[in-house]
Amino acid sequence: MGRTGRALLIAAPIAAGAAVVAAKRRGGRSPASRRTHVVTVNRPLSELPESLEELSRSVEISLTAAPGDRGTEIAVRIPEGSPVSEGEVRRALRETRSLVEVGYVLSPAGPPTTEKTLLNKPLRTATEHGREGGLL
Amino acid sequence: MKALQWQGVNKLAVGTVPDPELRNPGDIIVKVSRTVTCGSDLHLIGGYIPFMEKGDVLGHEFLGEVVEVGADVKRHRVGDRVVVSSFIACGSCWYCDQELYSLCDNGNTNPAITETLWGYAPGGCFGYSHAMGGNAGSHAEYIRVPFADVGAFTVPDAVSDERALFASDSAATGWMGADLGGVKPGDVVAVWGAGAVGQMAARAAVLLGAERVMVIDRLDNRLDQVEKYTGAETINYERTDVAGELRERSGGRGPDVCIEAVGMEAHAPGAHFGYDQIKQQLRLQTDRPIAVREAVHACRKGGSVFVLGVYAGFVDKFPLGALMNKGLTMRGAQMHGQRYIPMLLERMAKDEVVTEHLATHVMPLEQGPEGYRIFKDKEDNCVRTVFVP
Repeated sequence: MGRTGRALLIAAPIAAGAAVVAAKRRGGRSPASRRTHVVTVNRPLSELPESLEELSRSVEISLTAAPGDRGTEIAVRIPEGSPVSEGEVRRALRETRSLVEVGYVLSPAGPPTTEKTLLNKPLRTATEHGREGGLL
Repeated sequence: MKALQWQGVNKLAVGTVPDPELRNPGDIIVKVSRTVTCGSDLHLIGGYIPFMEKGDVLGHEFLGEVVEVGADVKRHRVGDRVVVSSFIACGSCWYCDQELYSLCDNGNTNPAITETLWGYAPGGCFGYSHAMGGNAGSHAEYIRVPFADVGAFTVPDAVSDERALFASDSAATGWMGADLGGVKPGDVVAVWGAGAVGQMAARAAVLLGAERVMVIDRLDNRLDQVEKYTGAETINYERTDVAGELRERSGGRGPDVCIEAVGMEAHAPGAHFGYDQIKQQLRLQTDRPIAVREAVHACRKGGSVFVLGVYAGFVDKFPLGALMNKGLTMRGAQMHGQRYIPMLLERMAKDEVVTEHLATHVMPLEQGPEGYRIFKDKEDNCVRTVFVP
């Protein structure tokens, strides 16, 4: 087996593991099994950030002062029957944290230098939802 | 513009890509004057970190001239000569407040991948795969630098490009290993790996007052550099028993601080190297932790082990028993460059930290694929290849 083949064998478990877990996180959960999504922003907040106002019509949001002067915990629970997905909540929380702490959300580099191939299709799909997946 | 691109596993090419654009008000565009290979790039090139796309631009350690600034940038102007931290950090989140910049909450546009792999996502990095944000790298004529007021630093006139280049990553990474590893005056310190990062870790340990610093490698040219430029001693692991040597040179106690600067593609003589190679190929582990195992075993009771080498996933036969029963402190990190670069530039201006010798090969960017081949094969005593776009 060549060096390339060996490297792919080595890399495969990392990529496959990440893809499986990411996919599991994205879908297939019943509302009852959903956990509250919580992010801590490094600022004291007394009212809901503007970026969450629209979302707040479809989910339950609470603000709690974080211990140790770490700012504010923003918790979002998606009630049964809500049209909002977990991915949308994760994205909204991550973007809100950036907006509150930095003032804007970091944009990906650009213009792109890459090209689409069959091999990188799964990775492209994952990065298109880079702020929606994960464990948050 | 010209750029060195990843085209597939073990395939590099210099191609033409669109010029980078300002995307956020805190961005600057830098015209790259020097950009350097890193051992951790080899993990990307070889497919060990499988989050690359065809056409990705490599490179994360660089300096250059500011040619464009975003509306919110206050510390930089067009024409500034800047060196840039390889990790991208916002400067405003809790982790940045703690000076743990590579853990920034807002610096990675693709947090889902690493959050899924590791539980939480570190920040973004230039030219280091889509798991680290998919940021175009520095092996190009121009590069976009986000959060420029936080991560780009004006180089003092007294420091040459050739020297300042390595403040971007190698020197900052090495310093972090010694600093967060807890090196203090009177300590005995062992460093695994005599590449640029290992040499810088050794130099940092010396400057932090360690009584005795020893660097372990198998390549004589690198060990010669250690002796000439860092003030540390050397151990060639192909010629002696490392554990025995360290025990003997530390009064039988073992090193107080052990710094691993090798990473996931470690080499070693003997059967355990073959064992780790086979485990990797059988997909039973993703990384070869040979140097980490040795560091944990060699460290004195109650000592500290710091992992600077890059690892991606899972390892086998980790000596957890030694870690627990000897009461070790183990720590690792991607580098918090923003914390160290200003201090390093000052030390470089005073000749306390010198780095020019690391650039054993300097060539135009057009020779990028050949530059990486020489670097990877350690041909012609290559320590680092520097590209001049």
